[in-house]
Amino acid sequence: MSFGVILSQLGGGMVKSIEIFVLTLLFSLPLGLFVALGRMSKLKILSGIIKIYIAIMRGTPLMLQLIVVYFAPYYVFGINISSGFRFTAVIIAFSINYAAYFAEIFRAGIQSISIGQWEAAQILGYNKAQTFFKIILPQVIQRIIPPVTNETITLVKDTSLSFVLSIAEMFTIAKQIGAREASIIPLMIAGLFYFIFNYIVAFGMDRFEKKMSYFR
Amino acid sequence: MAEVLVEIKNLKKTFENGTEVLKDFNLSVNKGEVVSIIGPSGSGKTTALRCATMLTPISGGSISYLGKKATWEENGTVHVANKHDMKEIKQSFGLVFQNFNLFPHYTVLQNITDAQIHVAKVPKSEAIDRAVNLLDRLGLSDKRDFYPCNLSGGQQQRVSIARALALQPKVLFFDEPTSALDPELTGEVLKVIKQLASEHMTMIIVTHEMQFAREVSDRIVFMEGGVIQAEGTPDELFNAIGNTRFLEFVGKYNM
Repeated sequence: MSFGVILSQLGGGMVKSIEIFVLTLLFSLPLGLFVALGRMSKLKILSGIIKIYIAIMRGTPLMLQLIVVYFAPYYVFGINISSGFRFTAVIIAFSINYAAYFAEIFRAGIQSISIGQWEAAQILGYNKAQTFFKIILPQVIQRIIPPVTNETITLVKDTSLSFVLSIAEMFTIAKQIGAREASIIPLMIAGLFYFIFNYIVAFGMDRFEKKMSYFR
Repeated sequence: MAEVLVEIKNLKKTFENGTEVLKDFNLSVNKGEVVSIIGPSGSGKTTALRCATMLTPISGGSISYLGKKATWEENGTVHVANKHDMKEIKQSFGLVFQNFNLFPHYTVLQNITDAQIHVAKVPKSEAIDRAVNLLDRLGLSDKRDFYPCNLSGGQQQRVSIARALALQPKVLFFDEPTSALDPELTGEVLKVIKQLASEHMTMIIVTHEMQFAREVSDRIVFMEGGVIQAEGTPDELFNAIGNTRFLEFVGKYNM
């Protein structure tokens, strides 16, 4: 098998990895924000449920969560699972898992904003939604870029876990080629791909951080 | 008869841990009046101001603006005005904080215009006009596109005064407006407040600046232990036969 073929097959897997990465971020970041708000709710029952949800998401392996999400429709509702659900299950599992981590980051960010900002907004007559989205959130986003970058980089590498649901992402393909060719080279190339991917992610986040540093 | 803008009656505030910070605080402020509240730390002056501006719920008594009750206690339950009345009440006062609390992600101009546009629904061009005028009056014309982090404390506090004034409140509260500033920057903020006093802005000022309070106030309220110990015009209070505890307190400031 030529080097070019290996690269193109890995490239195909990479596209799958990128799809999982982008869709997970797209869903887990906003979801994480609302989970954080629920976690800080004065309603004890709501914040209690959210605490349990976060504990489960952080306390059990993501690989197990992928399996549970995939088989849940069958075991809970008796619905036959089509193979097309595999990718959907991956996105759902990744999104609810990462939302739990992002929620804690958002919570830390929100709680780091001084109470004076809320009070100033209240005195000026902003309603609660305006206060949160116009005044508080932009400051929160600026502060949480470094920990969010951490999670985002972890997500790039975690996409390889979707092999448990037979998704042909990059690492799965690298393993297959490696086994067939009895060579470690495909895995090393996959490693390089992850590294480059993460380098680009970190570079982008660094640019974003600089762009957001126009205020203190 | 002078129009009463703010009326605080029998105000009581007890914190959850049982500390009684305000025992029986009464204050009535007329249109155009400048009232300074002074007193030692822990006397309850800041709490009184926070209750008056609805940042802290009251435990007893009542607070009214323009004859409308904003919050009051009745048979052990604390009530607040309905949404409609509350909106009007909140528009009638402004507050300048000790720590400025400017919005750091907004420029000076945005800090002054945003609430006008999105809360008071003032047309954008008018909001900008008002802001530019205020900046001009407060000597900050060249700072309109700066972010707060690039301003000195005194400039930040003047911007926060402009931000409050832009909403055209009938009465403006100040919570130790110069306590976070070094002495060199205190002067520029006090000058602005004096300027407002000369324009007959109604103001209630919690301050530690004795000389300033004496010069600017129509009336001084001296608080200690959650109650008003003495109240009167600066001349009455600073007179040798005034309240002894007040003079003892003021004496420590070497006047």
